Amino acid sequence: MPKKISAMDIYKLLPKTNCKKCGYPSCMAFATKLLEKEATVDQCPILNTPKFEKNKKKIIEMISPPVKEVWFGNSEKRAVMGGDEVMYRYQLSFFNPTPIGIDISDNLSEEEIKNKAKEIENFVFERTGEKLRLDFIVIRNASKDAEKFKKAIEIVEKETKMPICLASLDPNIIKEGLKVVKSKPMIYAATKETLNDFIRVIKELKKEKDVVLVLSSNNVKELKNMSAKCLANGIEDLVLEPHTYPENIAETLDLNVMIRRSAIEREDKYLGFPILNLPINAYYYALKHECPMSGFFDDKDVVAKMFEATIADALLNRYADALIMHGTDIWELMPVLTLRQCIYTDPRKPQAVEPGLYPIGNPDENSPVILTTNFSLTFYTVTGDFEKDNVRCWLLVMDTGGKAVDVSVAGGQYNGENAKRLIEETGIAEKVNHRVIILPALAASTRGDIEDKTGWTCIVGTRDSSQVGDFLRKNWDKILNEWREKNRS
Amino acid sequence: MIYNDRLGEVMDLNALIKIIEKVGKIEIENIVIDAEELIINIPSSPPITIPQTPALKETLAEEGLIKIKEVPELDWEPPIEKYKGYIREVQFGKPKSEGGRGKVVKIGGQRALYRFEDPQPNPPVVTFDIFDIPMPGLPKPIRQYFQDVMEDPCEWARKCVKDFGADMITIHHISTDPKIKDKSPKEAAKLMEDLLQAVDVPFVIGGSGNPQKDPLVLEACAEVAEGDRCLLASANLELDYKKVVDAAMKYDHNVLAWSIMDPNMARDLNRKLIEAGLDPNRIVMDPTTCALGYGIEFSINAMTRLRLSGLKGDEVVNMPMSSGTTNANGAREAWMVNKEWGPREYRLPLWEITTGITMMLCGVDLFMMLNPIAVKTLKEIGKTLTTKPGEVKLNTNNYEWITCP
Repeated sequence: MPKKISAMDIYKLLPKTNCKKCGYPSCMAFATKLLEKEATVDQCPILNTPKFEKNKKKIIEMISPPVKEVWFGNSEKRAVMGGDEVMYRYQLSFFNPTPIGIDISDNLSEEEIKNKAKEIENFVFERTGEKLRLDFIVIRNASKDAEKFKKAIEIVEKETKMPICLASLDPNIIKEGLKVVKSKPMIYAATKETLNDFIRVIKELKKEKDVVLVLSSNNVKELKNMSAKCLANGIEDLVLEPHTYPENIAETLDLNVMIRRSAIEREDKYLGFPILNLPINAYYYALKHECPMSGFFDDKDVVAKMFEATIADALLNRYADALIMHGTDIWELMPVLTLRQCIYTDPRKPQAVEPGLYPIGNPDENSPVILTTNFSLTFYTVTGDFEKDNVRCWLLVMDTGGKAVDVSVAGGQYNGENAKRLIEETGIAEKVNHRVIILPALAASTRGDIEDKTGWTCIVGTRDSSQVGDFLRKNWDKILNEWREKNRS
Repeated sequence: MIYNDRLGEVMDLNALIKIIEKVGKIEIENIVIDAEELIINIPSSPPITIPQTPALKETLAEEGLIKIKEVPELDWEPPIEKYKGYIREVQFGKPKSEGGRGKVVKIGGQRALYRFEDPQPNPPVVTFDIFDIPMPGLPKPIRQYFQDVMEDPCEWARKCVKDFGADMITIHHISTDPKIKDKSPKEAAKLMEDLLQAVDVPFVIGGSGNPQKDPLVLEACAEVAEGDRCLLASANLELDYKKVVDAAMKYDHNVLAWSIMDPNMARDLNRKLIEAGLDPNRIVMDPTTCALGYGIEFSINAMTRLRLSGLKGDEVVNMPMSSGTTNANGAREAWMVNKEWGPREYRLPLWEITTGITMMLCGVDLFMMLNPIAVKTLKEIGKTLTTKPGEVKLNTNNYEWITCP
């Protein structure tokens, strides 16, 4: 592991005036925020003066992650890659969720290119209150024709705000593309054989700072030497692409690990760049060869998309900082986007919402009280279902440390003591004229404990929140009447 | 950058090589080497005759003002880590020569984290979940494979082995739950005997999840499966784990140590099981698998930390790990009928595959699974972890996608 930098190391290089212009009460506080990546050096006006130029450079060097953060795109939308400091997410969160790009062939008609670009831009899958999207468009020079390539770039840039990756192995074609592209593109890709020509093209057009160059090789030492050459020639935004082999994905996973370990644990700055992988290779592989899903589905396209998603998921687990994929079916991308969301959550912050009382659909004193957890996925799923099904209720959200119902039941956070505290703090007893709580079926085992500690009657409800509307329509009046009967006598 | 004093020009390495080709030899004196770039100073005296051939002029003209800086070749060593510890190897089943039923399966035994350091000695193993009563709650895309055998657990087991190549079978004695059918441990043991007759693969023996009943069921089944090196699932702190440990040691079985996503809890449990008399080489850890999107990140952290601790030499947690990957089928994104999400027969296997692959890359060795598509996928990808780098011939042209129609 590289040596640890402390806030004190940064503080020593700051002006120490405590002028507060950075927005923090003191220079020490600012140093801490810089270290935690919650502030940037530009926030300090004094650091930006010539006198402090050296110090500023030093600080940037100190807080720069071993994997460089690289972006491409335009002023409206950027695809940001890399920026990571650790090998495992439990040590510190991974930054910059892996951007996912989808290919468009320049052989398509103008109409088809437009539609595909729009489809990619508008794709959305919503979960836990977050809209999960695709991140960039790869225009591939399938035609081998420079004019078609340029035309496709122009159509895509006119139609969308998506960041663009230009894909061709021919430096002359890329040169033509670079002449028309308006944003900062990612260029796929320079190989060992074409690297000099790519460098020449970029230098000629004076685009050293305005492009991201992908270096492609299945040999890590070669990638390192290619990156050293680019740096010497002023091209500093680099991405490394070890080849993606769907038939033995362990080969690619190995290359990813070796690159990342060299950067983080061996502090090899030439390999300290984001990694791009190509699940799209799995898609095309599966169209022609046998893969594990062959034989289960007749439709080759379905098999290919399943295999592509599988390979993408494997790579997401081992350091893919950007992915190029082909399929845009929601069923294929759901697991990939969900896994990305999970891997890039901050392990220091549980996926939780504020515990407390949430009135749903304007409830009154006769409405049911339902007890759930503050795991954000549970919360958003439950409230989404209730809204769809016009459920009126008082939703009690218990602090389970951001754990789901089954997990918090097993872990002991979903318990009577916690329920009692929640009932007291929310004052729910004054809002309803009954003492009945509905528990999710997954929490059935906690019923006795909650009844003992709270004195409320517990009813075991449904397994899934989508069934709650139906359950209440059929049972709630009866439950309420029975409870009243019993408590009258 | 090469500065040629004589021509008063900056040349690149290619130009220098061209000169060498022409004159055969260049004597260089007073070399200055800079860390950033290589400057070769060719002094004007003694004079060198460089023939001004048209070819050379052309090359220089072609390149115009664009000069590419060359850098000296850099070395790189594969970042191979040496580990103090190892992962224990656990065996299921026994060969006929030792009185078993034949099939033997081994998991664990790793001495490294990644394949480029040392390929895994054993591929990850999948054990098919079957139940002692029909499971109407199984999602249709899975039920379709087993509909015809769900009334008969022995047929169910046979189908898993014959049609889907099961390495192992996990029998869940669900009907022993007092709230379901309250079948006696004896009845469960009878079924166990029949299952052992029906197929020759090793078994994982599971109860119903009732903490009072499970130790009794596991004990009775362990007795009839004596010497078959099954995996008793499970021992945890909520039940009489000593009974499970005793049964394992008396009848020659392994024990699944189940804890909840907390490496310290896993360590405590292992220590207690060992103190109760269990051989540590008979433990498989299950740190709980949360389905994709339902807390999988907690499982990733727990499993990664346990595997790293084991490899670093912590002998209380260097056991192989198991995952209840079947849990993935409980995710609503997997099973729920929802037009907006597309066909669930595609989503369902992908959810199990993604959950399984994620666990596999965190170090899990044994997978309890349901969906035949997911099982096949995981097994094939798992096998790649046992191959040496370069051993498998690769056909992929990495760039073909660019020009695909």
